[in-house]
Amino acid sequence: MSARQSRSASIPIPAARNIENVISMPFSTTPSALSTTRPRLISNTRPLTVHGSPDRGAMSTSRTNVASSPGRPVTSGSYSSIVARPIVGSNNANHPPFEPRIIRATSSPAPPVNPIDTTCLPNPTPPATARVRRPSTGRHTNVTASSASHIIRPVLTPNASIPAPSGGASLHASPQAFPRPAYLDHSAFRDLIRTNATVPVQFTEPLQVQRTLTGTTSNAPIPAPYPYLRRALSPAIDSDDEGSASPPPPAVSNTTSSKGIWSGKATFPLPTRWSEMDRHASLSISADGRDLTFCGPSCPGDRDSAAARANEPIPPACGIYYYEVEILHKGNKGHISIGFSCNDVRLSRLPGWEKHSWGYHADDGWSFPGHREGNPYGPVFDSGDIIGCGVDFSQNRAFYTKNGTFLGMVFENVGTDLEVYPSVGLRHTGESIRVNFGHEPFRFAIEDHVHSAKNRVWSNIQSTPINWHVLRGESAKYGEVVEGKKAGTHDEDDDAKESLRKLVFGYLAHHGYLETAHAFKAQCEGKPTTMEDSEFSDARDDEEDMDMDEGPSGSLSSIDEERSLRTRVNIMNNVLKGNIDAALDQTCAHYPSVLEREQGLMLFKLRCRKFVELILDASEALKKVKSGDAASHERGRDTTVATKVDQEGGEMMDDGGAMDVDDPSPEAQTHTSNSPSLDVSSSTTSTTGKKETTSRSPSSSSTASSPSHSSSGSALAKAALHNALKYGQTLESDYKPDTRPEIRSHLKRTFGVVAYPDPLAVGGEVAEMAGQEARVRLANELNQAILESQGKPAHPALEMLYRQAAACVAELGTQGVGAAAFADMSREFLDS
Amino acid sequence: MPPSNKSHIRKEEWERRLHDVHISRNDLNRLVMDYLVIEGYKTAAEEFSREADLSPSVDLESIESRMNIREALQRGDVAEAITRVNDLNPEILDMNPALYFRLQQQKLIEFIRQGRIQEALEFAQEELAPRGEENPEFLSELEKTMALLAFESSPLAPPAIAELLSPGQRLKTASAVNAAILESLSQAKEAKLVGMLKLMSWGASMLEEKADFPKLDVIEGTFN
Repeated sequence: MSARQSRSASIPIPAARNIENVISMPFSTTPSALSTTRPRLISNTRPLTVHGSPDRGAMSTSRTNVASSPGRPVTSGSYSSIVARPIVGSNNANHPPFEPRIIRATSSPAPPVNPIDTTCLPNPTPPATARVRRPSTGRHTNVTASSASHIIRPVLTPNASIPAPSGGASLHASPQAFPRPAYLDHSAFRDLIRTNATVPVQFTEPLQVQRTLTGTTSNAPIPAPYPYLRRALSPAIDSDDEGSASPPPPAVSNTTSSKGIWSGKATFPLPTRWSEMDRHASLSISADGRDLTFCGPSCPGDRDSAAARANEPIPPACGIYYYEVEILHKGNKGHISIGFSCNDVRLSRLPGWEKHSWGYHADDGWSFPGHREGNPYGPVFDSGDIIGCGVDFSQNRAFYTKNGTFLGMVFENVGTDLEVYPSVGLRHTGESIRVNFGHEPFRFAIEDHVHSAKNRVWSNIQSTPINWHVLRGESAKYGEVVEGKKAGTHDEDDDAKESLRKLVFGYLAHHGYLETAHAFKAQCEGKPTTMEDSEFSDARDDEEDMDMDEGPSGSLSSIDEERSLRTRVNIMNNVLKGNIDAALDQTCAHYPSVLEREQGLMLFKLRCRKFVELILDASEALKKVKSGDAASHERGRDTTVATKVDQEGGEMMDDGGAMDVDDPSPEAQTHTSNSPSLDVSSSTTSTTGKKETTSRSPSSSSTASSPSHSSSGSALAKAALHNALKYGQTLESDYKPDTRPEIRSHLKRTFGVVAYPDPLAVGGEVAEMAGQEARVRLANELNQAILESQGKPAHPALEMLYRQAAACVAELGTQGVGAAAFADMSREFLDS
Repeated sequence: MPPSNKSHIRKEEWERRLHDVHISRNDLNRLVMDYLVIEGYKTAAEEFSREADLSPSVDLESIESRMNIREALQRGDVAEAITRVNDLNPEILDMNPALYFRLQQQKLIEFIRQGRIQEALEFAQEELAPRGEENPEFLSELEKTMALLAFESSPLAPPAIAELLSPGQRLKTASAVNAAILESLSQAKEAKLVGMLKLMSWGASMLEEKADFPKLDVIEGTFN
């Protein structure tokens, strides 16, 4: 307190330092850094040397500015060593001689010299007149990715202070950067909530621009990939998994559309300081943007006051937002109001007196909900007290805390229609406060509070009765009118169970989990091992039971469907094993239209894969030759290789045979009498010889093409390579006329595989092109194409359910529905 | 445009957002596995574990014993169910007097259903009445059950009482036992997919007030 007392407008402010040195430390922009660097952690784990007087209780620890990690080569007075590292200018508040504050002239409350919010500038930029409020390009964003961890590190800077603005020179504050407060980790939108505004957020930004940016790969302007909304950074979005589970992006998207996260607000910036612009002239703001001091003569009138708002509104996507204010000097009367206001509220009134503002007053402890008639709410507060102030957007109510004690919920409809800003109002000379927007650990256990609120909201959501009309894609209102398809006790549980079985069965069938699907179906309709299919069925349930029986089994009811599923699974398995010929034959026999889709794109891809398989076989054969050579040197035997290869070939043949047995259709014959759509490939197969097509397996073809025991391994390898290259030549010439870019690039990447003796070992794009993942991707594409050719959705309903729910929640969040922040799908459903 | 200030989200835009949702095949597989385990599809869970290369979160054998208990209750064989629950884990009933009472009540109901009135009376007096004295809720349940005797199978019985004889009552008891067992295994009581349906219903209803957006028929997986 005493340190604060000495503050006055007359404090001399040394202007010794170069402006670049005190400009805002860059804000972090990497989500990982943000999420791992928490203020609490930092202040607890860093060795701090406290020089300041701990006269402010708990706050003093984190406020301690004259501290440094002992190991760091920062020596007091050695100014130049500090220059290079990030500096938190405001951390020097306790250092006696200097105050890192800007004191404005009290006599002339002229408009701010430079009415520009410098807080958000993440990067030291030279003083410039053409400064923009928010950088609209991403060029600042990458500067400090790695510096996030130093952000809060206090630096011993004996001379650290802010140069006073001289004359009309631009003012450059030294805001204190801080990572996203830990309590916000409970919001489902955590990755979009940021303490800076470096993302190109321009509300007027044309949608097309935004789109273009998100469409490009690495320049996507969303630095924090929001788990629900993440734009694929690479075209192969699901390559990390068993295959694509996502719908293809719509071809055209240069449409106008709604407001929301996608059309402008890519992230939710948090308040980080008091706004230089949005404050009453009688209030001065410290250089770090955290202190407010009433500098003019006390407000004369009964109503006249001076208020300030934070630099950013509070994003409802926080779910709950919280900040704390330390009363530095209450002054004589203590006319201090802490709360919120919308930006249409006059700054000459205390928050809470005017409509769209809410405040808790120090002098009487009353709360004011937007007019001058307040209500008794909490205790009065005084210098040294820490008042916390939160908004719960899931209820649109506010709450306060005093020195860590919860004071209760208050107000209604906070932030329902307009954006609210943290706001504080003062009235008399000498009154001053210091805000903590997350710069330091909070006094109140806000994390616990948010955690329990989140659980409450989630269990509320989970106990809301299911509206089946909504789930069938009908209007909820329609549902109200037609309510009562089943009266009374027939509970939604049955509906839910039946629907889920349908969804699960559809999912299993879609992806070809054949045995699971069978077992599931059998258990659903067969023995009454589940409650729903129990032996009971009274009159009421009869109808329902019928429905149920048809539910999961419906899509498998006919033998045709069953066979179709098996065939599809066989085709996928063949692709997964690399038996492309077999897959081609089966597809051709059962789903000829699939190969013709998109002007033969699927056929093209399969043939490319066939080529890759041939190359892989050749490389495998070569490897065996090499290891065989080594072996023969050691053991003096030469026959090992040949036998090995023989065995391999035999196994492969067996595999192919098993497939045929599984599949009742005689496509073993069809491959020679090719259908029109296979003409292209038939030409190649005929060039490579009949033996290969019959045996299906490329490696077995090479085996077969050479008299087994007498031939050496190297001959086999050569034949395999020759075989592959020949196929490649045909492929190239077949598709030469096709100028579609996707064809060209795919072909190019396919042929890129040839350049490596062992493509799988190369890694990177080549291995991606050659490896099992590529097979998986292809199998999934083929599967999807087959399903679509049958008029089925390209994606299982279960997956669509997840995506639709996630999109709804995300849109709710951007529309200001705070409860959506606590509907954290990835945590509730995906984390185990 | 309608007079409301609802925003309108076009289909293309909405589809793009759906595409952007991050969900992997593996995530979905785990949701399905969770469902199979919790709902007790043991064979399917075993197959799925193999086909999808996923390890189930619990010992699949425990599914079987859970299902046996369920079946026993659905058959009306309460004594068998109680024995099996105690075989599985005696603490489940020890720690949960309300559940134990519920099972005993079910046993009483089964006696009445079978017309074994004498046994029903004896059982009620010896086993249930003392518990009813301890807890007013138990007492009222007991009274309700005993009222069955008065109505026998008369169609005049009030629904609340006749309901006790319905299969629904058995199902409810079986559900409660199932949930208690799951809890004792540190498993969620409800499959996550159930929660997803609930969230979907909540989210779509909420959003409908705010925006026009393409509605999904969740069951078919297609847009209306």
